[in-house]
Parts: sequence; structure tokens; C-alpha cells
Amino acid sequence: MGKGEAKRTSSPLERTSRLLDLVPYINTHQGISLVDLAEVFEVSTEQMISDLTTLWMCGLPGYTPLELMDLDFESGYVTIRNAPTLAKPRSITHEEGVALVLGLEVLRSTISSERLDLISAIGSLSQRIAGLVNLPSALSASSGISSEVTVSIRAAIKNRSGLKISYHSLYKDEISERVVLPLELIESQSYLYLHAYCFTAQDFRHFRVDRIQSADTAQVEKPSAAPTMSPEKIGYQLKVHKLTRDVAERFEEPNLEAGTVLKASSFSHQWITRSVLASGGAVELTSPTEIRSEIAKRAKTILNRYEG
Amino acid sequence: MSRKSERLINLTIALLATKRFITKSEIFKTIEGYEGSPEAKGRMFERDKDDLRTLGIEIEVGSFDPLFNDEAGYRIKQERYQLDLGEITALEVSLLSLAAQAWQGASLDDAAQRALVKLNSLGIAVDEANLPDTVLFFSDGGVDLAMITMAIAEHQILEFTYRNHDLSEEERRVVPIGLSTRSGFWYFTGVDQDIQEVRTFRFDRVIGAFSAKRGPEDFETPEDFDAQRVFDNTNHENALVDIRRGKGTSLRALAIATKSMGEWDQVQIPILDMKTLSSLLLWHGDDVYVHSPAELREEIIATLKGLVNLHG
Repeated sequence: MGKGEAKRTSSPLERTSRLLDLVPYINTHQGISLVDLAEVFEVSTEQMISDLTTLWMCGLPGYTPLELMDLDFESGYVTIRNAPTLAKPRSITHEEGVALVLGLEVLRSTISSERLDLISAIGSLSQRIAGLVNLPSALSASSGISSEVTVSIRAAIKNRSGLKISYHSLYKDEISERVVLPLELIESQSYLYLHAYCFTAQDFRHFRVDRIQSADTAQVEKPSAAPTMSPEKIGYQLKVHKLTRDVAERFEEPNLEAGTVLKASSFSHQWITRSVLASGGAVELTSPTEIRSEIAKRAKTILNRYEG
Repeated sequence: MSRKSERLINLTIALLATKRFITKSEIFKTIEGYEGSPEAKGRMFERDKDDLRTLGIEIEVGSFDPLFNDEAGYRIKQERYQLDLGEITALEVSLLSLAAQAWQGASLDDAAQRALVKLNSLGIAVDEANLPDTVLFFSDGGVDLAMITMAIAEHQILEFTYRNHDLSEEERRVVPIGLSTRSGFWYFTGVDQDIQEVRTFRFDRVIGAFSAKRGPEDFETPEDFDAQRVFDNTNHENALVDIRRGKGTSLRALAIATKSMGEWDQVQIPILDMKTLSSLLLWHGDDVYVHSPAELREEIIATLKGLVNLHG
């Protein structure tokens, strides 16, 4: 994620934009080192020296030392004087405004409702930025993750302490209490996961953070037992009878046709059963036969309640 | 290519520093870098003006002396050029830094970083002590968000191909009015021009690219639209459902009212889409039972019959 890593080449326009932004930045960061400055603007030190050399030649018409910017960077540290016209930062663009307003929105959704000070500051900032760049006040972003939970997890990772979490397992549809030793937070396919050693399962597990309902510090001992065998995957086969978007998304198979036979596997017997039920007759499970007859039995039981 | 950047910077400085409008011939005479025949200089200046506009710098065109219809003059207004967020506190600057950081690795990362540099140039110290401890990042799979917000701001029509519920593909013409993200997915809401009704679309269900067209002149955003409530619309019929105690957590999250009845809880769930809700109810098997509406009951009964036929 490009931080500190120099970008390849830049077009004259990109360069102009950077030069214009350099002046106010140096103005409020007098004496910053060339290396740090290059890092802030994500260019190499050579490029930064070349940028400063160009800026050094710029100024008001007349172009005598009196009109030129007084820029000093020979010592490796940068100072600027005599640049009043460009001293203030440029206004933000539409795109920059969008990034900030959406960022603020997602921030708002993670802040605990007691922090009224932050919530009102965010509201006022959003409005001012939206006004600057003619942005409709029609943006919303939320994360679905409780801020109390992420705060506890971060603290536990830092202090290498244990956590007692209540976790909603989607497949089993149960909320279970588990004691875990958090290792790291990982982002994958838009979801945030907690990678942890789970004392309940006596193995390493990934937990979706948005399904963790609470997290409190707990006493744990270092995991001693050897990790247990990972559970076996269950192979299954489906026949597609009706094309629906749900089926394509659920079974992650974009190229469906009526009659397609799909082979896949899952760790969870529950997941297969529930997925076929939820697909509502658009797919038929052809194997394994035990799950197939269980689906028929379940559907009959539910049907009896409606018709009974 | 430093000559061009140098000329653009000098032009910006000169146009910012002047109070009155300055004419093209004054520009050519005083600003370094304009060379060649008068025509060549003229072309160079036109390109430079376009380039500055691309960078978001507005050049004002006006007359040197309004009494005489003479040569046009140019200048850049300081108040349009500068970032003006009014009084801004250290806490606010810190919140904006956090907001910008949320884009790390996502599509508006560069824009967010540029904005951050500008904010840091205000010379206000960051107030980190008061900040929330969050770990949120956007992930947008490359959606061109700025294009969508531009279309919202200017009431443009977006034309695109959308994958429907039954996997069929349909051309849609929509004037967008809102943009939202939830649980890792991005959505936009708009007025579908063919049916004149408000609909919400998920970005990853759009096939191919958007094209933006001029929108209807008299477009007005529906009065009752609220971007914060795209997902909890209350104008819908509710389903009355029993859920076994301790079960159905994801259904309960949708409920607007819950009544405990011993082994079962009775909840009311707004019906945004009959098919989606029916599928979610079936996922929960015999831990749920639908009382009303009749339409939803019938949908579920018919689906169950189909399932029995297929698997029995």
C-alpha cells in the first residue's frame, strides 16, 4: 500500500499539483528532512530534490531573487521563505471530498454512541466538506462491527491476554461462549477476521469480527495441547433446476445453466442442508444421500406444521 | 519536462497575486516560459488554462475596464484557491486523518492521501489522545465512487446492465440519489427512470461499465429519501414470525419488534423483498414459523412442496 514507496514517473500535471502542495506543507513543517518530505509525497529523494530545484526557480514576474521563493535544502533539511501567494493549502477536489466524507461516515458507525463529542464533530465536518465540493448529502457507510469489540481485541493482541467472546455461528445458528487467545486481525474479501487460538475447540480458528457479539478479558494459560485434526470436508453434488442470483452467489458459481451439475465441498453438514433449503427448490442435492433424505425429512416436518 | 510545470506554477502565482485582471499580452510579456510566435504562445496559454482547470484551479475571466470593451483579463481568486474549512480544531483534523486512513489499499487511497497532505499543511497539531481506536478499512473492489457521487450531484442518468434475481440481465436507467456501504458491499440508490420508483442496487451485481448521460432537467430527489435509512425502510409490510428461543440471530437483527412467548419469541420483520425473506426463513428450517402475511406463507409452503418433490 504504496506508503513510503516511490511511485514510478509522474506526468507534468501530477508534478505541478505536487509542487503546488509542497509549498504550504514545507511552510508549516519548516526544517523537515528531505527524506521525510519525499515519503510524505510518495516520491524518491532524487525526485524530491528535482521538484525543489524547479520550485526554487518559481516566483512572481520579474524573477529576481526578491520575487523568487527562498528555498533552502542543501543541508538535507528544507525551509521556505517568501512564498506568500502559495502559502495556504489548495482546496480539495470532488474526489478527495468523497473520500473524506465516506471515511467520516464509516468512522461514525464505529464510534460508541456515548462519544457525543466525536459524533457531533464528524457531523459538522461532513457538512463543511460536502459544501466545499458540491457533494450531495446522500452518502452513508457503516461497518456492522461493534467498536467495543474491536477495542477489546486490539488490547488483547497487544497485551497477549485471553478473551472470552460470545460468537454467533451462522451455520449452527447458535451463540457460543468461547475462550480464545487472539493472535491477529486479518482482512479478507471485505470482512475482518480474528485469528485466534480457541481453547474451546483446542485449535486455531478464524472468527468473523462482525459476528462477535461481546469480548471481555479472560485468564488463559498458554495453549499446551497439540492442535487436533482439522475436520474433514464433505463433498456434495447439486443439480441446478432454476437459475437464480441467490444460487450463483451462495455456491460461488457464476456460470450457471439449467441442468448444470455442481460438485463442491464444505466443512459443515449444517451449511449444506441450510443452503439447499434456502435455495428453495432451485437446486437439488443429489449426493450425499444422507443429507438428501434429511432435507426431504426436514421440509416435510415444516410443511406439516403449516398444513396441520 | 520541468519547463511545463515551472510555467504552470509561475502562471498560478501571477494570477493569484494580482488583484485586477491581467491580460494575455501582459502574461506573455512578464511570465517566464511563453515562447515562439504569437499563435504558438496563444495555443500554449489555452492548454495551460485547461490543465489548471483539470487540477481544480478556477481561472476567472473578466474585463480589465468595464467601460471599454477591450481585451479579456484573467485572475485566480485566493478564496476559491485556498482550502477553507472555517475554524478547525486539532480533534477535527485528527478525525479527518482517520477518515482518510480508512481508504488504505482501496480505490480512493490516492485521493485520500492527497487530501491528508493538504490538511496537514494547515499546521494544526493532531489530537490523538481523544481519538477512537478503530481498525476499519474500505474495500470496494475498484468501484469508481467519485463517478457515482458526481452523477448524484449533477442528477445524471447512469445506464448499466444489472443481474436480476433470476440471473437474467436487464438494462437499467437510473438517476442515482445515494451511495452506501454495509457489511463489505457497496450499494447505490436511485430513481429507476423506466418505472419512476426508488430502487437500491449492489455494485457487484452490475455487469460491465456504467455510462453517465445528461439527466432529466426537472429531476428532484424524492422528499422522503434518507441515505442513512436505505436499509431500514419502515414503509414496508411486516411479516409476523415465531422464532425458537436462542435461535435465529440473523433474523432477529432484522426485527423491529419482539415479544417473548416462552419457548418461542414472536417478531415483526419488515418485508423488503418477499423472495429474499422467504429464502432467509427457509435457511432457519423448523426454528421459525410464519403467521402472516398469507402471501409469504403461501410462498414458503409452495417452496417446501417443491423441496419435498425434488428430494423425496
